[in-house]
Amino acid sequence: MRLGARTFLWSFVPVALLLTGSFWTVQRLVVREVRQEFRASVRETQSSLARMRSAAEQRNRRILKVVAENPALKNGLQLALQRRGDAEARRTLEDQLMEMGEELGFEVLSISDAVGKPLAGAMREGGAWTRFDPGATPLPREGYFTAGGKTYQASSATVDLADENLGTLTVGERFELSSLPVAAILTREGKIVESHGVEESRADLQSQLAHCSPGAECEARLASGTYLFASMEAAPPEAEEAEAGAGLPAGAAGPGKQTAAYQLCSVVNLDSAARPIQAMLRNSFSIASVLALVGTMILSGVSSRSIVRPISEVVARLRESEATGELPDFQANGSGRAGGVQEIRELRDSFARAATAVRESRERLRQASIEFIQSLASALDARDPYTAGHSRRVSQYACAIARSMKLPPKELEEVRVGALLHDIGKIGVADSILQKPDRLSEEEHRLIKEHPSIGRRILDGVQGLQPYLGVVELHHENWDGSGYPHGLRSEETPLAARIVKIADAYDAMTSDRPYRRGMPHEEALAVIAKFAGTQMDPNVVQVFLQLGRQEDELGAVLDPRDSLHRLAEAVGFSNGAAPVAGRELTGKEKS
Amino acid sequence: MGPVSRLIVWVCLAGAAEAGHIRGTVVIEKKLTRRTVTASAGAYQRGMGVDPGPPPAADPLAFERSHVAIYLEGPPTAASGGANQIAASIAQTHREFEPDLVVIPAGSTVSFPNFDPIFHNVFSLSKPKSFDLGNYPQGETRMVTFAKPGIVFVNCRLHPNMAASIVVSPTRWVAKADSEGRFDLSGVPAGEYTVVAWHKSAGFFRQRVTVSEQQAAEVRFLIPLLGNATAQPAAAR
Repeated sequence: MRLGARTFLWSFVPVALLLTGSFWTVQRLVVREVRQEFRASVRETQSSLARMRSAAEQRNRRILKVVAENPALKNGLQLALQRRGDAEARRTLEDQLMEMGEELGFEVLSISDAVGKPLAGAMREGGAWTRFDPGATPLPREGYFTAGGKTYQASSATVDLADENLGTLTVGERFELSSLPVAAILTREGKIVESHGVEESRADLQSQLAHCSPGAECEARLASGTYLFASMEAAPPEAEEAEAGAGLPAGAAGPGKQTAAYQLCSVVNLDSAARPIQAMLRNSFSIASVLALVGTMILSGVSSRSIVRPISEVVARLRESEATGELPDFQANGSGRAGGVQEIRELRDSFARAATAVRESRERLRQASIEFIQSLASALDARDPYTAGHSRRVSQYACAIARSMKLPPKELEEVRVGALLHDIGKIGVADSILQKPDRLSEEEHRLIKEHPSIGRRILDGVQGLQPYLGVVELHHENWDGSGYPHGLRSEETPLAARIVKIADAYDAMTSDRPYRRGMPHEEALAVIAKFAGTQMDPNVVQVFLQLGRQEDELGAVLDPRDSLHRLAEAVGFSNGAAPVAGRELTGKEKS
Repeated sequence: MGPVSRLIVWVCLAGAAEAGHIRGTVVIEKKLTRRTVTASAGAYQRGMGVDPGPPPAADPLAFERSHVAIYLEGPPTAASGGANQIAASIAQTHREFEPDLVVIPAGSTVSFPNFDPIFHNVFSLSKPKSFDLGNYPQGETRMVTFAKPGIVFVNCRLHPNMAASIVVSPTRWVAKADSEGRFDLSGVPAGEYTVVAWHKSAGFFRQRVTVSEQQAAEVRFLIPLLGNATAQPAAAR
């Protein structure tokens, strides 16, 4: 994995996880808190509703008390009491009840005597008033009852004349759950009689309600959410009860008790009620977390970039140097970057130090190998006083040619070192042959001709000398293919070898030999010109001749070799050592 | 007021009629009684009174006019008309007294038959005659004799909505205005009299009248007497 990706992942993933986790947790907590809060407010609403209801009932009771003070009703009640069993008397009372109901808006009215024995009743059905037999359907003093398939809420007041209790007036109002501002259920002995605003099936509700103690607040978990059941009955005020009870003999308490079986509960689905708030919270939290994640992503990206960029810069430089072979020089522009991270700077510095060390050691190695090559060449030259300095001179001539041909530095180096080593194979040729002053026999010629191959074999194993093998092996190949060891033609022979061949020939001709004196410069040039196109590369010959003529035109220079040296130096060639004349070197070596 | 003016013209033309005759008109230009009717089921809201509006096809002023009792207050000589007792009846049907206004000379008897299938209890606490007939069922009739002149209000103990008025006149000349406000008192000997009109809500209205044998006396009552001094004693004080 790339460092950038890795840095990004390591900075982004934990923070993202942390963020997501914390957002999730906070959201859960808030939702729970909201739910709790909501539950409390629901409870508050329920209880205030219950209070309102009980206050309304209280008011109703007061109104009923006033109604019970109706003297006509009292007269009618007295009449009915005096003539028990008289149909007309009962009808009179029923008629009074009907009128009262019509005027006051009650649906069911009944009147009973002081001991709770029903006397008369009236009930409205479909707009018309009918008799109602309270003996068959005893009405409770308070609470709910069902008659004719409808649910009613009853309230009662005693009818008193002075200190005498004549009876009790009980009225029933149609009770509809739908008139309540909340969803509610009415149960009777744990069974649901009526429900309103609850989506759940009655059976489900009922099974859940079984766990709830009557009258207490209760929470139940159903398929569509958590429901809160709260009793809507406020406990009747003690004083009221006591007063009602005091004016009433034991009998009246009976139906009163019966109503306890009825229970009115408000039902609130906490989940669905809290859902909009929850959804809102969830939305805002999601948006916030997405924003935070995006922010984190950007931050991670920026930070990983800021970490990786300097490194990648360094890496790019290293890779570049890997490709080019040049060691990077961080020192030069590394110090120029003011904003570099310290670690990166240190890394770069240590790289620079290492590079410097490598460069130095490579330089030393190169130096050493050059020295080694020089010493090899010198050793070779030392074997034959006539060829003393030959390799060095050939190298110089060859370099001069290569330079005027504008060869790249790499090939120039090839030419220079190759020329130095070109006759190294002569180590493997017996001195007797090499130093033989007479003409060589056929066999000796053959042996001599092996020296390029021997040279190649010698240098083959030495690391770092591979580039020069071509020159060493092929500097006796001819342009027309008549050379050795392989008889290569024209451009099959590397350019370096062709250059070295000309330089070699020139030096061989102009040097003294045991069997002859060296040719003068012009003559040698003429010979070389003659060989152009046969033994030698005509292009290179042309360059060489030009070099030689240039020299000539200068005039002042007597020794062509010196002129070539100087030429070489003038062109800028330097072998690292002080300029040494061939003859001086020869002299030194002689001593 | 077309009929009224026509009536006045008619009264004027008919002037030369029988001796000892009083012809009168009651003019009521404003509703005086607020009649309450029990609303039909479903039309009411609990605790709210409902104004039923005018009874259909009935002139509310005609109702008012037909509820004006007329009688004569005369010189003491004329008052002794003991032989002129009449038997009036106030029935109880559909939880109402029918009629709800009778005018009788003092000493007359009124019967109260109950035609309803329920009990009624007719009573009065008025000064001229207070009585309580007690509870009695359908088919029964109870009677009361009113000896003293005055107004007697009759109610039912069982049905507070039921009310009737009995005007007991000191003289034997009594009448009720008809729906157009006309009334007629005949056989009145010549002399100075006071014609009294009584409306339950508006009260008493008196007018002096001189009855001659040649000419019918004319009386015109404007109820209530607008701009009359008697209408503003409280303001004058």
